[in-house]
Amino acid sequence: MLGLDADRLRADLNRLLAFLFHQGILDEQYLQLQQLQDESSPNFVSEVVNIYFHESEKLLRNLRSSLMDREFSDYDKMGIHLNQFIGSSSSIGAKRVRNVCVAFRAASDQYNRAGCLRALELLEHEYCILKNKLHELFQIEQQRLLAAGVRYPMLN
Amino acid sequence: MAPTLPSGDQASDQDNWDNGRLARKRQLLTEIVLRNRLTALVVDGDTTCRVLEQLLLRSYGVQTQGVDNGRDAVALIASGVKFNLIIIDMILPVLNGLEATRQIRDMGVHCKMLGVTACSGESERQAFLAAGVDVFIEKPLDPEHLVPILRELDGQ
Repeated sequence: MLGLDADRLRADLNRLLAFLFHQGILDEQYLQLQQLQDESSPNFVSEVVNIYFHESEKLLRNLRSSLMDREFSDYDKMGIHLNQFIGSSSSIGAKRVRNVCVAFRAASDQYNRAGCLRALELLEHEYCILKNKLHELFQIEQQRLLAAGVRYPMLN
Repeated sequence: MAPTLPSGDQASDQDNWDNGRLARKRQLLTEIVLRNRLTALVVDGDTTCRVLEQLLLRSYGVQTQGVDNGRDAVALIASGVKFNLIIIDMILPVLNGLEATRQIRDMGVHCKMLGVTACSGESERQAFLAAGVDVFIEKPLDPEHLVPILRELDGQ
């Protein structure tokens, strides 16, 4: 019976992954991350994603504080932040976040402050969705591993 | 966690999955065996990208070092450390990737240099190639681009 929990959780995991891929929240680059995970680095994916979250939140704070400044004019620096965000998002397979960053960068290249503000709102929203969904994914995976680690009692 | 192809109810898997392409990517991730000990320098200002690029290289048995800015990359090369491969981002703090590449080439370094970037316009490509990289790719760094380069460096 306990083994069925692991199977059920694996099915939940697959369903969530399918949803994330279908919605375009993740792309196949995320699978490449999973390929790099093995017994010697069993938490690799969640560790790398946590690095991504940490760095992304710094970038989002920088972007927001720049745009909130009425005197803001350093669009070159904004472009550099956005390039970084695009690169890191592409590297973990965060497809929708990446696409919003590309649109944001286009607004920044045109010195379009209103466009940048709209893009920032959308970016913060998409990032929030991604973070929540990935946390959910890691939680299910943790539960699955725990469930799979339970052994059946010996029967006489 | 072994990578799985989600079989969600919701969508046409064909919209999001090309099983043949994914299978090929997996094959590339495992099929190469290097005969020689190769070394690589990864120069990327973004932590997520740098960690992932180094891990991808290490998964093939390549010994790697990472630096997060162009100035440190130039200093490391100038100190006499040799690499078979340098992977360098175009946009870097302190000293950008274009200038760092030029300075490395000006030192007489002839190793393979792979330029990576989140911005992939033709002008960026031309500029990076003119600075001295041998290959230019848009992030993320993936096995499809990396494996042929590693094979070439390994003399296969």
